[in-house]
Amino acid sequence: MRSLTKRFGEVVAVQDLTFSLEASTVTGFLGPNGAGKTTTLRLLLGLAAPTAGAALVFGRRYCELEDPAGRVGAVLESNDFHPGRSGRDHLRALALAAEIPQARVEEVLALVELGPAANRRVKTYSLGMRQRLGLAAALLGDPELLVLDEPANGLDPAGVHWLRTFLRRFADRDGTVLVSSHVLAEVAQTVDQVVIIDRGRLVATARLDELAGRGETLEDTYLELTAGGPDESPAPL
Amino acid sequence: MRAQLRSELLKQRSTRTNLGLFAGLLGLVTLAVLLHGVGLPTSDLAGTDNQLMVFGRGEYLGALFAALVGAMSITAEIRHGTIRPTFLVTPHRGRVVAAKVGASILMGAGFGLAASTLAVGVGAAVLPAQGIDVQLDGGDYALLIAGGTAASALWAAIGVGIGAVVRDQVPTLLGISAWLLFVEGLFGENLVDVSRLAPGTLGVAISGQEPDTHLAPALSLLLLALYATAAAAAGWVATTRRDVV
Ligand SMILES: Nc1ncnc2c1ncn2[C@@H]1O[C@H](COP(=O)(O)OP(=O)(O)OP(=O)(O)O)[C@@H](O)[C@H]1O
Ligand SMILES: [Mg+2]
Repeated sequence: MRSLTKRFGEVVAVQDLTFSLEASTVTGFLGPNGAGKTTTLRLLLGLAAPTAGAALVFGRRYCELEDPAGRVGAVLESNDFHPGRSGRDHLRALALAAEIPQARVEEVLALVELGPAANRRVKTYSLGMRQRLGLAAALLGDPELLVLDEPANGLDPAGVHWLRTFLRRFADRDGTVLVSSHVLAEVAQTVDQVVIIDRGRLVATARLDELAGRGETLEDTYLELTAGGPDESPAPL
Repeated sequence: MRAQLRSELLKQRSTRTNLGLFAGLLGLVTLAVLLHGVGLPTSDLAGTDNQLMVFGRGEYLGALFAALVGAMSITAEIRHGTIRPTFLVTPHRGRVVAAKVGASILMGAGFGLAASTLAVGVGAAVLPAQGIDVQLDGGDYALLIAGGTAASALWAAIGVGIGAVVRDQVPTLLGISAWLLFVEGLFGENLVDVSRLAPGTLGVAISGQEPDTHLAPALSLLLLALYATAAAAAGWVATTRRDVV
């Protein structure tokens, strides 16, 4: 992100935001509700156009990537499915558009453990199954970068654990992850570094090992940085 | 582009929506032709114009349902959020719109062909059973079916364009239905000159109905194709320029 700014009429959702990701790490993208996390990710993924500045992936705008599905996999909402379409057909349609072989659909279904339910219509899926189907779609192109917006929302402890293990393994195999969250506990155990924003502005970037070295916890840092501020908004969480 | 087209065709086939619409279309066409055939006075049905109108119910309903299929190819994606993964995989949104137009034209043509053929079949069975002599010749039948197919295909493209501009599913579907079933009828009764150029009426004209009032089928085809191009272009512009919410 370079001086990224997005306004919706009077509302400035993201303001002059600059940060970058390190390859093969998991970056937590934190901030209270309404901080501008989702907006930033939409700008990064070309779903919205910035008012000013630029959001680049692999040095380019998302829409200029040669093989977007092969480089970036993303999940922005947990329920972006047609309720009357089967999970398998959802993935097949995306695979066709991205010219990904249909065998890969079966691979990602197995990877997220959805094989047995794949022919059922999505309206019969539980929230956890939908989250995993979204993840399967993001993984179709075997991407280098995963961008996930609040992926743990609504998951039970086992589901959160599964997701953490999954992200960790993805990064260990040289993948890069950007995962947004407003639930610290969800993130603290998984991420290598955090980017914290508040009211559209960057407030901190830090490596977790550095924080630990200074004897601070992520929670201290987060609360300190997002609570105060000039116009005294109520403390988050 | 071919990849996107194949993807769109799978999307259209993989829910029950279009199958349900298709069944509804066939049921309605049968009902409309039967009701006209049995309900209208025999003297009215003896004339060519009214016979063409009865046999032309296939075109009329086919175009309406094709427009709904086209519109839903985009409004359903917006409504259910699948537009996000769709654009993530194909960030060139123009390609997605073009593929939706292409896939919907194919679906619309299928709907129009089936509806027109069914209407002609039911009509050709019902009218003689009422003791009415069918005045239509092979050329009339060919025009009813080919025209109904073409009009429905073009209306599917118009539907995609309207859906892409309006985006909300319910207003889009209501608007298209109200226009075709009601608004154009008002023009027809009050402003005949204007109504000749209205897109629904052009579809009717393409299939050869009311040749004395309407424009010639070939000219109507050309004009309706212009409408379809304009609608698709508007949908393309709206989709590429605006943020995805
Ligand atoms: N399409 C839009 N139109 C108008 N305002 C918007 C739009 N999208 C976001 N906003 C505003 O921009 C700000 C940032 O929203 P955003 O969704 O990016 O926050 P977030 O950090 O993802 O919050 P959350 O943790 O609740 O998901 C909010 O004030 C929101 O109301
Ligand atoms: Mg958000």
